[in-house]
Amino acid sequence: MALVVKNSTLGDITVKEAMRRQTLSLFLDSSIQSAIKYLLKHKVSALLVTDLTGKPVGVVSKTDIVSAFYAGLPVDMSLESIMVGPPLFCRQDDSLEAALEKMRSNRVYRLYVIDQSDENVIGALAYPDVVALLYVYCRGCEQSAVNRRKSHLDDSAVLRFRVRDVMTPKVVSYRKSDSLAEIIEGMSQNRFSAVVVNDDNLQPVGVISKTDLMLAYNHGVSTEAQASQILTSPHVRSCDENEFIEDAIREMVFSELHRLFVHDDSPHNITGVLSLSDVARFRSGSCHACVGARITLK
Amino acid sequence: MFIASDIMTDTFHTLRPDMSVPEAALLFRMASREEKRRIFGMLVVGPDGALLGMLSMYDLLLMIRPKHVQLWGVMDDIELGGLLENVCQQTKSVLVKDIMTTDVITVTPDTPVMLILDLMIKKHIRRVPVVDGDKIQGIVYISDLFYKIVDKLASESGGEKICMG
Repeated sequence: MALVVKNSTLGDITVKEAMRRQTLSLFLDSSIQSAIKYLLKHKVSALLVTDLTGKPVGVVSKTDIVSAFYAGLPVDMSLESIMVGPPLFCRQDDSLEAALEKMRSNRVYRLYVIDQSDENVIGALAYPDVVALLYVYCRGCEQSAVNRRKSHLDDSAVLRFRVRDVMTPKVVSYRKSDSLAEIIEGMSQNRFSAVVVNDDNLQPVGVISKTDLMLAYNHGVSTEAQASQILTSPHVRSCDENEFIEDAIREMVFSELHRLFVHDDSPHNITGVLSLSDVARFRSGSCHACVGARITLK
Repeated sequence: MFIASDIMTDTFHTLRPDMSVPEAALLFRMASREEKRRIFGMLVVGPDGALLGMLSMYDLLLMIRPKHVQLWGVMDDIELGGLLENVCQQTKSVLVKDIMTTDVITVTPDTPVMLILDLMIKKHIRRVPVVDGDKIQGIVYISDLFYKIVDKLASESGGEKICMG
């Protein structure tokens, strides 16, 4: 039984429209430290690794760097030792649906776009860019919650998807006194990109993300250090589980967050997490009409 | 023939690798005031005075640049103020050493100015540290180099007969 996809919010869109044309790459003999610097500066989650002739041979992501931290590898070690290869490719004329499916089935968060000659990498397709594009479509659609609200249309009869319908209803949280090593283990088991950190009264006091761990690695912090040592913002960015998906997307896109924690009636009570990949896989804003038309089974 | 030591400035402020980005920003402002020129790049120096890297305006601006600029044309609900505040939050735990450029091109005090000029054009750089052994002697700024040449050109023209219209 094959999935046939039609009329999705992103149905007629090709990779070309969502891809990012700047491809960041480093040679395989570059250091882990140089990769950390590159990822931070360019605000991306992964970079392409090429051999000395420029041929792409692998990918290094924040996840790989955090694993290197956990394994105790020195930051001046080469990317060759931690990269994952070979990179996965798509073409700019591929449908976005097909590319997303390839990402999902291979459990990766990005594909590199290669030209017809199979030689030149001309861009990258990653979840944040797909979600940003989705937001543009939602904003342009008169059915979207944002636009109906703007024109003061009565929206009460329209059944809409809320954050709670798409979120991962699970939160992995740690205490301030837990070690970074324990946090990294929990993240990798659950494939989470961030965890909530609680104080001794189990009140959330902050978030530790892969970026925070990557920085700690670069700053020479030990993996045995306590979470409290690298907590920066005493704030958990969260949204209400009854919020429309569009509104949560907007928050993530503009705040450049890869996830929002989700709370119920009380902002202190975190009940789940909404990640960019959750949203990209959902491939829609909050209209049932959009989602209903999305996938049919052959 | 001019050499680096003729046109370099030997009063300059430096950053330490463990400063946070907001601390570095403060120093950029302070250095600009004290050196009476807008500073767009600073040397990063270790405790022993050794040159570790450089932090330039570009390194900082890259971090400030919003990730999804491509949306701006179609969005009318962007609050610029909020964006900047957001970035400031994000950069709090980032240190100078996390984003500085480490492969710094340097010259020595006796490097001829024309070689420096060539270097600046080829490598797209606007300031070059002047290093003697392990010791930093000064910085050559492209603007100082340019004005040295402008002065030379102007004096070649004899400084007269300049038509002011």
